[in-house]
Amino acid sequence: MLNIFGESRGTFCDQQSRRNFIKVGALGLGGLSLPQLLRAEQQGGKGNSHKAIIMIYMPGGPPHQDMYDLKMDAPSEVRGEFKPISTKVPGIRICEHLPRLASIADKCVFVNSLVGSTGRHASFQCMTGRSHNNQPPGGWPELGSALSQLCGDPLAVSPPYVNLSPKMQHTPYNFGKNSFLGMSHTPFSPAGEIKSDMSLNGISLERLGDRKSLLRSFDRFRREVDQSGMMHGLDSFNEQAFDVLTSSRLLEALDIEKEDPAIRARYGKGTEKAQGDAAPRLNEQFLIARRLVEAGARVVTLSYSFWDWHGLNFKLAKENFPDFDQALSALIEDLHQRGMADDTTVLAWGEFGRTPTINPQGGRDHWPRVANALLACGGMNTGQVIGKTDRLGGEATERGVHFQEIFATLYHNMGINPNTTTIPDLTGRPQFLVDTNYKPLHEVI
Amino acid sequence: MIRFLVLLLWSVALTVHGAPYSDLSIHTGREATLLGPDSSQQLVVTATLPDGSLKDVTREVEFVAEPAETIRIDDVGEVKPKQNGKTTVTAQIGGLEAKTTVEVAEVETIQPINFPNEVVPLFTKFGCNGGGCHGKSGGQNSFKLSLLGFEPLEDFDYLVKESRGRRLFPAAPHHSLLLRKGTGELPHGGGSRLSKESPEYQTLVRWIEQGMPYGKESDPIVERLEVFPKECIVEPGAQQQLQVTAHYNNGTTRDVTRVVQYESNQKDMAEVSESGLVTMGDQTGDIAVMIRFQELVDVFRATIPLGAPVETLPPVRNFIDDLVYSKLKTLGLPASEPCDDATFLRRVTLDIAGRLPEPVESEAFLASTAPNKRELWIDELLNGTDYADYFANKWSAILRNKRKNPADKRGNYAFHAWVRQSLHENLPFDQFVSRIVAATGEIGHNPAVAWFRAVNKREEQLQDIAQVFLGVRLQCAQCHHHPYEKWSQKDYYGFSAFFSQVGKKPGLQPGEQLIFHRPGKAQAEHPKTKEKVGPMPLGKPMLDLDADEDPREELAKWMGGENNPFLARMLVNRYWKHFFGRALVEPEDDMRVTNPATNPALLDSLANSFVVSKFDLKQLVRTICNSQTYQLSATPNEYNQSDKQNYSRFYPRRLTAEVLLDSIDNLTDVPTNFPGQPLSTRAVQLPDDSFNAGSYFLTVFGRPEMDSACECERTQDANLAQSLHLLNSKGIQDKLAHKDGRASALTKDKQRPTEAKISDLYLRAFARPPKAEELAVATGYLDQKLAAVKEEEKHPETEQQAYEDILWALINTKEFLFNH
Repeated sequence: MLNIFGESRGTFCDQQSRRNFIKVGALGLGGLSLPQLLRAEQQGGKGNSHKAIIMIYMPGGPPHQDMYDLKMDAPSEVRGEFKPISTKVPGIRICEHLPRLASIADKCVFVNSLVGSTGRHASFQCMTGRSHNNQPPGGWPELGSALSQLCGDPLAVSPPYVNLSPKMQHTPYNFGKNSFLGMSHTPFSPAGEIKSDMSLNGISLERLGDRKSLLRSFDRFRREVDQSGMMHGLDSFNEQAFDVLTSSRLLEALDIEKEDPAIRARYGKGTEKAQGDAAPRLNEQFLIARRLVEAGARVVTLSYSFWDWHGLNFKLAKENFPDFDQALSALIEDLHQRGMADDTTVLAWGEFGRTPTINPQGGRDHWPRVANALLACGGMNTGQVIGKTDRLGGEATERGVHFQEIFATLYHNMGINPNTTTIPDLTGRPQFLVDTNYKPLHEVI
Repeated sequence: MIRFLVLLLWSVALTVHGAPYSDLSIHTGREATLLGPDSSQQLVVTATLPDGSLKDVTREVEFVAEPAETIRIDDVGEVKPKQNGKTTVTAQIGGLEAKTTVEVAEVETIQPINFPNEVVPLFTKFGCNGGGCHGKSGGQNSFKLSLLGFEPLEDFDYLVKESRGRRLFPAAPHHSLLLRKGTGELPHGGGSRLSKESPEYQTLVRWIEQGMPYGKESDPIVERLEVFPKECIVEPGAQQQLQVTAHYNNGTTRDVTRVVQYESNQKDMAEVSESGLVTMGDQTGDIAVMIRFQELVDVFRATIPLGAPVETLPPVRNFIDDLVYSKLKTLGLPASEPCDDATFLRRVTLDIAGRLPEPVESEAFLASTAPNKRELWIDELLNGTDYADYFANKWSAILRNKRKNPADKRGNYAFHAWVRQSLHENLPFDQFVSRIVAATGEIGHNPAVAWFRAVNKREEQLQDIAQVFLGVRLQCAQCHHHPYEKWSQKDYYGFSAFFSQVGKKPGLQPGEQLIFHRPGKAQAEHPKTKEKVGPMPLGKPMLDLDADEDPREELAKWMGGENNPFLARMLVNRYWKHFFGRALVEPEDDMRVTNPATNPALLDSLANSFVVSKFDLKQLVRTICNSQTYQLSATPNEYNQSDKQNYSRFYPRRLTAEVLLDSIDNLTDVPTNFPGQPLSTRAVQLPDDSFNAGSYFLTVFGRPEMDSACECERTQDANLAQSLHLLNSKGIQDKLAHKDGRASALTKDKQRPTEAKISDLYLRAFARPPKAEELAVATGYLDQKLAAVKEEEKHPETEQQAYEDILWALINTKEFLFNH
């Protein structure tokens, strides 16, 4: 049981009548906020299954026509060199270099008609669903920031929004930025500036212990003078920080050494080297993402490799596809095996597609007219393709799916109605999570 | 407490001996005439208790109508017509009686229904036209309504004409899509909103039966809304029935209690039913219920007292205390004790000067026996430059002194310096505002023009000016009538017209601008009516200005006028929040009828004294800080721990990013180096936002990016990243271990005894000497560390490390991190 009365019991309840005690107790409760209490209790006992999203951002924009929508009827300067293979689902055929995804196509949704890209070479639209233009003051929040605000659990081991991406050289690829929701809803970015704060800086563990007990002796300021919850929050975040620095459960979540070697092998390795001007192709991040969700994260984002292939499209695809295929299929299967598939939505996408025509360098250029996205798990109806493109893979001809419809689907999967839920911006105006009339994909919900 | 017990006894008396009331009255809000078969009238019966307080007994009394056959009265006090005629209604309880007359007329005649007056309000009441449903732009599932029914003409088209009229079916009204969806008979995303038995359903049926009339031009237009009661004091858990009357332009009235929309501002403290019954929770405090009908709003306020004895209150020091205490007495909420000198010194120095007091200042202040030493210290702070630094930092953020481009640097520095200088010289606030609003010229000569570069679009200019200086969030009215206010789109574009003639030319330096009045008729186009609206101060008639008159001059004149109802109230509310952490109206820049102050009399008096002082900012700070209310302790007594809005004690708040960094620099004696600034520059002195990017500390602790006119951009919430940074960053560790830092100096200092050194640290961090047990902990820690090492030569290193640990611990205490 939680001692919600804290020190106030000793401070003034001794000489009080029972009646006053009840009154004071009730007031104390009012200040602590019930959700906080409930969460605290939940930590004590019940299971940890909760809704979450893992978003894999593919910086640069992957070649949609070489992945899940191969155009075998197109002329050779468009078609490219890859062949489609059949998958677990009759009728769905995807690239021969994605065999593992093909074998679990029944667990995937291939969106082949993603439209509405603003064409910017940036992660912004993938993270916020919005256009970069005409933002409200402070800027649009990223998916993770919005969900941190809507369903963050301050007592979970993991912060609600974790961004695993390292700093990328092409700055617009980077995300995790501040928005009108404020600093406290920006992601926890273990690869970012906080990294150096997460391991001891010039002091030993023993000295940290000394400091901690010294702090405990000094810090006698009564927490109950504060009703805003600020002091309470500070204490629990301090506890969490000490936990990170000593016997961290959060660090454990981030540490795949703790994982069964067989599982690690299943996800594959990739490479630690940054690709192009973007991210490394680090397969273990998929595994870390799963571990963070288990530790209470609501949204985990990661940037995977580099996809802006203006040259050598097919060579680079043959390098990247197998790793991507292995990591993503491992994640999806792993979530299913652990019973997390109904609650955790997986999404892999980039900011736009690639030109149908292969350029003289053997690459494909930027193509905002259409792109692709892969959705999995999250309790969705999987094993289907959504949307069609024309013979050249240049235009969506059927069921154009807007970025914001993907967002609406993600919110829906989190149990949040994206069409009625609002969050206030800095001017006090209620902002919808997605623009008017973008609905969750009816095919999958 | 005594009063509370007595009340309990009374309620016992009620059941045994009958009512203990001394008087009884019935309220109808108007001369109650029920016109037509669908009309109704809510009665509210109020009893007076012997101590003069009032209680709603509408649901307790027995109603008797004489003659009985003309009307029906149900037990919640709603009267409905049966036959034409006049009836006397008597409410009876415990031997007391109150009477009123109700007249029924034209009961046989179904009244023609007016679409804007009777149908549209139902869409608002049932939430159909809310921003989450059909009221959002684009509607819901291709059926659109205007937001909250502000455009009845459009609604009429949507409903009657659009989609080939499929939504209404005059031949069989009950089969209309509108009704079948609304009742949930057909699948409806919004669920079942109204029942077939409800009078509202009847109204809709009647309207369709009548052939969906829009109404005649001669039909009355609602002019005023009136709720009864306007305010009351209610015990926790008690109920209050509301009665709402609409007054029309032809002099008629209508009871709209069951037609209006109600919204409680604190749903955890009070709930309100569709029929206007407010049920209080058991928390103490104030609640407000907004009542919306067509374009009008009114508000009901209730105070839920705690009922504890408020016998002794700390001495009153100025008018603020009178008004705060008066509220506390009403609430039965005893105030905390006055805070001690050390607490006051630290608090007021942080709040006025944005820094910790120096040890010499603390020693002198604590030792002083002058009876008015607190007053003297406030004056000293206001005369110092730290005050101007700190408040310039505050104003720069909401005036958006943002470095968008490298070329903004000169302008930003000049603007910040101008703000700082104005504050230091105590430029009257009306003039400060006027110089910004009506700024013309070049940045070098008139730095205030830089505001027009930072806020460069016309709509942002008018919205920012309205929000920052007038506390009006006008932006809602850009696209539709303001949902919580009287402001229409015409008001918005009228205000916009003031900024229509702002001319811009390239300034002296690349990227800079020269601001001037572009001669021409100031006007803005209303996007719906296409009307050219001239400059219109809020709530005032349109101005007729010549082409060569700068409308911004007129705006500034109106804003700074003695009788301007916005400027002074906004400013005192903003400053109140600065010093108390909780504004009288929250959020501080959203002041409107439907968002009442927790202490309206205090807000009025503060605003009035600010105007009388000729907009003297320093005088306002002096008034606030000299009040006993500001000088109360943060430590709660047995009653006021959960008080968050009545100022019965001081509410602690975390130091802002800048002040916290400066304080750590000060305590460790290692200044932070900001690029391009002299080494002694403190974080509160930084001119613009451009330093955030280079300082993880400022970013993670929430220094604003100066993106908006709202102080809410500054986040004070705790998070894991902050904790990690403060507990374990290299930056902090480097400051602690710096060779010229505090720990090193204390180690090298062989003159003073350890106790004196620890006292020095406590004075710096908390403006007080350590308590005996704190001193013991610190010296004990040093001794223990030194005893653990054998060799003498290791002592200095060990001793310095021990001091570092002590400093680290002090920094991480809540007493340090908070202003309390």
